[in-house]
Amino acid sequence: MRRWGFRKHIIRGPRRVPLIHEKYFSMADAVPGRKYRLVRINGGYRINSRLCAMGFIPGEIFYISGASRGGPRCVIIKGTKFAIGRGMAERIQVEEI
Amino acid sequence: MQNKEITVALTGNPNSGKTTIFNNLTGLRQHVGNYPGVTVEKKEGVIEYKGYRINIIDLPGNYSLTAYSQEEIVSRNFIINEKPDVVIDVVDSSNLDRNLYFAVQLIELNTPLILAFNMSDVAKKIGKETDIGLLSELLGASIIETVGSKGIGKGEILEEIIKTVESERRKKIEVKYGEEIENEISNIISALEKEKIHIFNFNIKWVALKLLEQDKEVIDTIEKDAGEKYQKISEAVTSSINHIKSILRDSPEVIIADARYGFIKGALLEACREVETGKLDKSEKIDRIFTNRIFGIPIFLFIMWLMFQLVFSLGKYPVGWLELGFEKLGALISGITPQGLIRSLLVDGVIGGVGGVITFTPNIIMLFFAIAVLEDSGYMARAAFVMDRVMHKIGLHGKSFIPLVIGFGCTVPAYMGSRILENKRDRLVTMHINTFMSCGARLPVYILFAGAFFPEIAGNVIFSIYLVGVLMAVITAKVLRATRFRGESEPFVMELPPYRMPTLKGVLIHTWERVWEYIKKAGTVILAISVLMWVLFTFPMIGDNYSQDYESQIEEIELLNQNGEITGDEYNSRISEIEAKMAGEKLVYSAAGRIGHFMEPVFRPLGFDWRIAVATISGIAAKEVIISTMGTLYSIEDADSQSESLQTALNKHYTPLVGYNFMLFTLLYFPCLAAMAIFRKEAGTKEMLFQIGYTLLLAWTVSFLVFQIGRLFV
Repeated sequence: MRRWGFRKHIIRGPRRVPLIHEKYFSMADAVPGRKYRLVRINGGYRINSRLCAMGFIPGEIFYISGASRGGPRCVIIKGTKFAIGRGMAERIQVEEI
Repeated sequence: MQNKEITVALTGNPNSGKTTIFNNLTGLRQHVGNYPGVTVEKKEGVIEYKGYRINIIDLPGNYSLTAYSQEEIVSRNFIINEKPDVVIDVVDSSNLDRNLYFAVQLIELNTPLILAFNMSDVAKKIGKETDIGLLSELLGASIIETVGSKGIGKGEILEEIIKTVESERRKKIEVKYGEEIENEISNIISALEKEKIHIFNFNIKWVALKLLEQDKEVIDTIEKDAGEKYQKISEAVTSSINHIKSILRDSPEVIIADARYGFIKGALLEACREVETGKLDKSEKIDRIFTNRIFGIPIFLFIMWLMFQLVFSLGKYPVGWLELGFEKLGALISGITPQGLIRSLLVDGVIGGVGGVITFTPNIIMLFFAIAVLEDSGYMARAAFVMDRVMHKIGLHGKSFIPLVIGFGCTVPAYMGSRILENKRDRLVTMHINTFMSCGARLPVYILFAGAFFPEIAGNVIFSIYLVGVLMAVITAKVLRATRFRGESEPFVMELPPYRMPTLKGVLIHTWERVWEYIKKAGTVILAISVLMWVLFTFPMIGDNYSQDYESQIEEIELLNQNGEITGDEYNSRISEIEAKMAGEKLVYSAAGRIGHFMEPVFRPLGFDWRIAVATISGIAAKEVIISTMGTLYSIEDADSQSESLQTALNKHYTPLVGYNFMLFTLLYFPCLAAMAIFRKEAGTKEMLFQIGYTLLLAWTVSFLVFQIGRLFV
């Protein structure tokens, strides 16, 4: 049954990128209040260069400062805050430290 | 004496305070234009300093010099092709690590570089100390500390520009990319040299590096230049990329970016000292409320509401003063020009048309002022963040929200503002629905009609029109996304800059730029349209073709008055009654009246008569013209949105349902010719024609339904 407004309980399908290592997960699953390290960006050269220029670089430590369910999340990386959409966050692999 | 000219390019990351520095350097002597062929704004300013004529070009704010967006390509091409004498990179010194990434790319291009370490006061406050001399040595660029908001560092920058131009070039600093990358770079260089390819007349190592980074612009240029030889280059690059991927397990562009950050880190480790203060960032505290999961959207709506109150409640007063001024001006001109066509053209055509537009400039000023404050304070980005989820539901980007808000002021800058969307599909959908964000020019029409038909609840009625606009935008976005513009929307990544107190100067300059564009529109397009409308309304002249002999009726009344049979008041009212009838017949006879009558069958099912048809046609020129047209149609001089006599006339002729329906129609059909001209420039003729056709069809359909259904109830 699909009723308007009640879809938020449905868990998102497996659109994830295959992981290199089991301790890595996507940025979309990172939660506020913990410390993470960026491992890898699974994008084309265009997305990669863009994110790198903004400071999203493998090895960089970041925090999540806020997120709305299913919406974008706030990421603090290299001293700057970014809003990053869910689709993008799913392409970024991270690990907790 | 002929001054020596210097060209200076001003660059920097978004939110580094680049615009403030530009404003400090050039003041109000700015010129805004466009780069040829692209829709990126080009700002220029000229200053005279120590016998030099310094031409400062404000390049768009960027994170890097890759070919990610049009802005980045424009900046890069300017630096490569125009070879400015000096490049100033404005850097947020509280965040050197990330901001210097752009600087490193400029260093790679070997440009004469000055780094403006902006917001140096903030950096010191949070405990960051930098050895400027040492860092300058390490980066191979001069560094000037500035505080844009306080105007500190302006003189030093000017001095440094002169010094850079007059002195010898500094030593070239090379960024080391590590053995693997360097090897592949030399492989590509030798491939390029073998095929004798020289593009951009530029540093060949830079070209090789860009090929490794898979820079589309550079690849395209080589492909075009080299023709068949490109195949060999492409093979060399592909094998290099594969080699790097197999050894370093990451794509070259990431490794190269990593090396650049490494270079920066190395320099900063030597030259900077950071004292941890451990304080919770003020911005962070504010964000906990403003981007809160629950409160975010209500706060956002409250701020929008506040903005509207400011614009429309406070703007009422200066609008009144301007109206009075134009009234007086009209009377003055009537007094000094002879009765006839010239006076009619000046008073009815020019002052009536242009004055009607200028009078609500105060609303526009306040709206753009509010938007500038929201932008400069950093809230606008939060608004996009808060709205992203909602916007995503209708297939749009969080950022689309910003041009849509601007659309409530004026659709022209809103169309231009859609450039912030990098993806073409996102941009076009945003532009197509922006029409339904009711612009400031449509507001006087609502004020007039709501005041005439719903005086008690005018505010609510107008608000409902705005809501209908938003609803139509949502529906249109959904439809367009499902039909013409299918596909994923651009991944959403956007910087949320720290909250800052906007500077008055910055806000005023932003406001002025946009208001000036609006006034220019009034002085050009609307002036021409007003004259055209006047011609349509005046010719062909009726001459003696009245249906009744009004002349003798007037003579009769004058005779009665002379004999004292009627009072002065009665005389006046009867004369003006006859004059109104004459004016009405004149109009019916004129070209405009004939067009209106001709079009009436199309408008009849919407409950509109030929007058509304004429007004609608005049609204194509610009929506605000509708009021003055209505005024002329009812023979009311100097009609504006507050005109009581016009409101009375409207009330007499139409039912509230028709009044509301006309407000809807005005909301929904495309904004104005000026906006369409911009639309064509931004999106092409085909999209503009689609926009015109779609909005006309939608306006007609919605009004038809509202009138036909509403009629059953009212």
